[in-house]
Amino acid sequence: MTLSKEELEKRVAVLERKAEREKKARNLAENQLEKYSLDIYEANQSLKSALASATQKQSELAFLAQTSSNVASEVSLGEMISNIVALTGTLCSACCGAYITSEHGKEVKGKSADVWHLDVSWQANDEFRKAIHSTLPIAESKVLDTWAILDLGANCVEKHTEFTSLFYTNFALSGEKIGWLVFLTKTKVFEPELLSVLNTSREHVLSGIRRRLTDVRILKRNVQLQDSLNKLEKARRQLIQSEKMASLGQLAAGVAHEINNPIAFIRSNMEVLNDYLADFKLFHKELKSTLDKNETLDAALFESISQSMDLTYIEEDSKDILQSNLEGLERVKGIVDNLKGFSHAGDETLVEMSLDACISAALKIAGNLFKYEHKIDNKMSNACPKILGNLGQLQQVFVNLFVNAAQAMETAGQLTIDYSENEKRVVIHIKDTGCGMDEETLKQLFTPFFTTKPVGEGTGLGLSVSYAILEAHGAEVVVDSELNVGTTFNLSFAIAEQ
Amino acid sequence: MKGIVFVKFNEFIEELWGDDFWDTLLNEAELPSEGIYTSVGTYDDQELFTLIQLVVEKKGISSKDAQFAFGKWVFKELYNVAPAGAHDFKDVFEFLHAVQNFIHVEVKKLNPDALLPEFEFLSETANTLSFNYLSPRKLCFFCEGIVHGLAEHTGQQVTVSQPECEHEGDSRCVLEVVKI
Repeated sequence: MTLSKEELEKRVAVLERKAEREKKARNLAENQLEKYSLDIYEANQSLKSALASATQKQSELAFLAQTSSNVASEVSLGEMISNIVALTGTLCSACCGAYITSEHGKEVKGKSADVWHLDVSWQANDEFRKAIHSTLPIAESKVLDTWAILDLGANCVEKHTEFTSLFYTNFALSGEKIGWLVFLTKTKVFEPELLSVLNTSREHVLSGIRRRLTDVRILKRNVQLQDSLNKLEKARRQLIQSEKMASLGQLAAGVAHEINNPIAFIRSNMEVLNDYLADFKLFHKELKSTLDKNETLDAALFESISQSMDLTYIEEDSKDILQSNLEGLERVKGIVDNLKGFSHAGDETLVEMSLDACISAALKIAGNLFKYEHKIDNKMSNACPKILGNLGQLQQVFVNLFVNAAQAMETAGQLTIDYSENEKRVVIHIKDTGCGMDEETLKQLFTPFFTTKPVGEGTGLGLSVSYAILEAHGAEVVVDSELNVGTTFNLSFAIAEQ
Repeated sequence: MKGIVFVKFNEFIEELWGDDFWDTLLNEAELPSEGIYTSVGTYDDQELFTLIQLVVEKKGISSKDAQFAFGKWVFKELYNVAPAGAHDFKDVFEFLHAVQNFIHVEVKKLNPDALLPEFEFLSETANTLSFNYLSPRKLCFFCEGIVHGLAEHTGQQVTVSQPECEHEGDSRCVLEVVKI
């Protein structure tokens, strides 16, 4: 194919333009590639800085998490502060750090003067201490609400010329005390983010310190409370004993009468015995004079003298009288023994005991309050199950109930003591046919110092003390009472396990 | 519009009518880019429309046919430069579904600012697939051509019709592809 010159020139022009476009396109593409390269480089750079910031964030978060868990843990105040110093110092790449406390503008010497170091942990560092003293405004006693940086300047710690700043915070402790966290660092200015992290941790630490100080206060208060409780317990025991002695006072007249009776008949018996002794002396004298006169003693004569003096009867009667005296003395001894047992304060331990024996002993003490017109029907028996109790204390309860019953039945009546039992409990029923109680009285039955008795007769503490004793025995009390019919106290005790 | 389309359109025109014709088009079109296209650049959509309009005028064919022909031709070209994963599809319908979920995702990785058409699938049976073609460029005929190019590549016989078309006064373009 041959082309004319004109056609050729035209063709060349087309190709030249095409080549020109291709060249320009290549330039464009190369520029675009350069731009892409730049974009990629910049993207890389921003990724790197994002990674660095994420790493920093991560370490800050780890720091906050460790601070929090340290604060929330049960470690002591001192240990917590030491951990916080190490954590904070590590986060800020501080050279060293310490915790000190001050009071009235002066440092209070702590247990340890050691300083935390980034590389070698805790050890003494006098230089750092000196720098703290000459730079920190301890004397001002001003409490900050954030962290602050101080330039060490001339006070620079010589060994670490690149560490030229102190950064610190402080907070109020109990009383006038102020706690200071101080670190030696290169940092001249805080990054806002780091400062915010440090402030967050500062709040955590503050709450941890407050909690621990409160714990100490609570502990002190607890000790005081325990002390008060002990005093109260002592007072309670004294009260029980006082009430017991008071009721003993009430019983004294009756008891005296009870003792007086046997003593009276013993005395009259002794008089009779005295007469009998005189008779025997006389008999002896008669025998002696007869023997002196006759030098012999025949049986008929002995018999006649003996009969004239009624010696056989005297002998028989003396035996009876002695027996009666012994019984009388036994009675007195019994009463005195019971009184002794009753008035004895004793301990409060619970042991296996018989309610039957306890009630019998109580009846012996209080029984004399009941007169001939009163009938006492004690249906208790050996078969009554044993319980865990304190004999002395329960005796006090029963005496108190019997005294009340006697006073409720002024002229005549019947006291019935009985028991019933179910699987796990035994219930003692103490029933009188006395004046009974109205609802008002029933309501206040166990209220201390409430009494229906005239002044001088009752303390108003009897039943409230009895109730306290029964409560300590885990006993339940149910009172049924009807005015002018009578009252029944039902005391339910847990049966002792065999 | 991405430069690759312009570069391929250039190749397409030169292949059909020679570089003289392309030179003539550029002379008359007076484009802002002066026809200096690279596949890494981005150019005004209007430049493509201007060039197509000139072809239509000079060769006496309809815009629809021009778009269709270019679409059918360009499929294999684009397919060859597509990422490897795009080569796993053996069926027209399967490929059309993958356009949005796979191919456009890959395109976006390289050209985050690329404006891509969206397909909204309306119904599908074993042999018929209809979808709504959504693009502000309204190149639905170009799209028809591409589907044909795709069928040629997979070795399937299809017809592509538009029951609804914005160029016919409808509110949207719906393409219906039927396997024969």
